[in-house]
Amino acid sequence: MIRKTAAVWAGKATGTLSRVSRRGGGTTLPGDIARIIDPKILTRLAKDLTYGSIVVTGTNGKTTTARLLSWLLEGAGHRVVANRAGANLIFGVTAAALNRAGSDGRLKADWGVFEIDEASLPKAVDEIQPRATLVLNLFRDQLDRYGELETIAKKIEKALGAVPETSRAILNADDPRVAEIGLNLARKPLWYGLDDISVASTTLPHAADARTCPRCGSSLIFDAVYVGHDGVYRCPNHDFSRPTPEIAATNIKLDGFDSLALTIDGTRIEMPLGGLYNCYNVLAAYAAARSIDLTAAYIADRLRTFKAAFGRQERVEFRGRHLILVLSKNPAGFNETVRTAVELAQGKNFIVGLNDRKADGTDVSWIWDVDFEMLKGKADVVIPAGNRAHDLAVRLKYAGVAAEQPQTDSGKALDLLIKSTREGDTAYLLCTYTAMLDLRAELVRRGWASPYWET
Amino acid sequence: MGIPILGNMKFTVGWLYPDLMNIYGDRGNILTLLRRAEWHGYETTVVELGRGSTTQMDDVDVFFFGGGQDREQALIYDDLREFKQASLQRAVQNGAQILAVCGGYQLLGHYYQTADGKRYDGIGLIDVRTEAGKRRFIGDVVVQAEIEGLSPSTLVGFENHSGRTFLGPKAKPLGRVLQGHGNNGADRREGCVQGGVIGTYMHGSLLPKNPHLADHLIAAALRRRGAGALSHLDDSAELAAHDWILQRAQRR
Ligand SMILES: [Zn+2]
Repeated sequence: MIRKTAAVWAGKATGTLSRVSRRGGGTTLPGDIARIIDPKILTRLAKDLTYGSIVVTGTNGKTTTARLLSWLLEGAGHRVVANRAGANLIFGVTAAALNRAGSDGRLKADWGVFEIDEASLPKAVDEIQPRATLVLNLFRDQLDRYGELETIAKKIEKALGAVPETSRAILNADDPRVAEIGLNLARKPLWYGLDDISVASTTLPHAADARTCPRCGSSLIFDAVYVGHDGVYRCPNHDFSRPTPEIAATNIKLDGFDSLALTIDGTRIEMPLGGLYNCYNVLAAYAAARSIDLTAAYIADRLRTFKAAFGRQERVEFRGRHLILVLSKNPAGFNETVRTAVELAQGKNFIVGLNDRKADGTDVSWIWDVDFEMLKGKADVVIPAGNRAHDLAVRLKYAGVAAEQPQTDSGKALDLLIKSTREGDTAYLLCTYTAMLDLRAELVRRGWASPYWET
Repeated sequence: MGIPILGNMKFTVGWLYPDLMNIYGDRGNILTLLRRAEWHGYETTVVELGRGSTTQMDDVDVFFFGGGQDREQALIYDDLREFKQASLQRAVQNGAQILAVCGGYQLLGHYYQTADGKRYDGIGLIDVRTEAGKRRFIGDVVVQAEIEGLSPSTLVGFENHSGRTFLGPKAKPLGRVLQGHGNNGADRREGCVQGGVIGTYMHGSLLPKNPHLADHLIAAALRRRGAGALSHLDDSAELAAHDWILQRAQRR
């Protein structure tokens, strides 16, 4: 216990120091320090939680889904500890728990809601012993960092197979590779999925990458495609098909980045988030909330007033221009944000930002799997930005999109955007993680936005 | 096919296993070949050569064979030998070009040998062999190309592979490594050129940032149709991306 308290103190001191020195939000360094002093610190802290933890993993949507869950729990009067700033490795989770621990070394919260990087899930599940684990989707993402999709899927399957009996797996039935994980589990998971062909397409986008049957390798037949390779699918050899979701969304209505509405089991949910991909996040959060007995009526009421996380459909106003920041970090995610901005929001002005730092993935070839062709003839101004702006400029050229000169300097990219966006108009900033951080830091520097650890 | 048809302004790209072997943004190579051929005045088609038999391979000017994840690579292994090998050999003899990257590069060679000594036979179209290595080579690659007349003479890309590829006497290296690891991290060679086949570990994607290599492939393939030199295109955007990688390499 003395060791735990020492670890908590050392970690907390590091967090304060890091924030004071403005190196960032103090989001992971304290976790590193505390884990060195007490390697079991996270397990010990997790045991202090009144009710337990919910863990969220998957390629896309972790941050928004975790934020939705925190929002629901907090509204019901629970004290929630969460790793909010996308610090989704084990150190970030440890740091978040430390941050909420008191001087006695005890974690003072009722629930933990943690987003976990796919590759870190086994360790996190082992240390946290969550009440529920959500697996959102498995898309191709930063292969230089994570390794192959199949390896990740096997890791997740193993992690879910090792959780205690009281722990529930909540899985996206519409994702073929996630479904295969769930079908192999000894205990039946809680399945969720979309059920509205009016928002589906029948062809897979180019970026779809789990298009073969995980059992026999045949090309899957898709009766509906919602997002990436997520949809209603079956194998022609009849050995594999989409599990029937118990929690299903119907009657989906989408309005740009402004709002979405859907019906789950007779309950109408309307909320200020945009895009079909967010329907999945809402559905996942709903499924988890229902599994811990929050009522449908309460969930619907609470979600009405939800506010998006940093860089996820965040809004910034400047001299009458509306800037909407949307994190877009891999082909499946980028396709959805571009589609939402162009088709649903009728967006005309864009910054598309690409960096190749470690957190973005050092290999930028995936931009060729994004359907930037959607911007052709629709967008008026497209500014390639980020340290790999030149690569984006080439991508846009071959997509037939008339783009501006590439801007590797965030300030210059913003100046050009403001210059080319009329007062009253909306511009969309679709960027990878650190490209978003750079642009956002510039917005903060100019006093247009607040630092992200204050949001 | 194989007989030059003057005035036939068609250009066909054959994409081998687009659904399975397309992991590293390989679509960039396809789009670059198509758009550039169009800008040079040709009417383009892309034929997708998936699993099973196909009759379309004789029409192809440039084949593209990309990389895949291990699982996908296993799925095409038998199909390649059964349905594609003979047609590919015939096509190359008739002057078609092949660009093979990563997994595709390995599969066109003699074999791939795993860490525990198990050999998977390739189709032996190029005189290279590959063995599994321990460490993954990941990062930018800059190469001094050994293809005559290529201007600029550098090629840039991104590598991500653990295979170590060694060239036999019939295969010439695509270039000398200035930055990165290349074929095997030992002999400073990257890729191979043999007849109409170019194999390489560079993706990133390769052709968009190396428009001169794209045009080299297009021109070489069209020569058998009696085509002359290609028109001049404005490549300032492509070469700016190329130069950015060169400059970063020089800063290191
Ligand atoms: Zn099957």
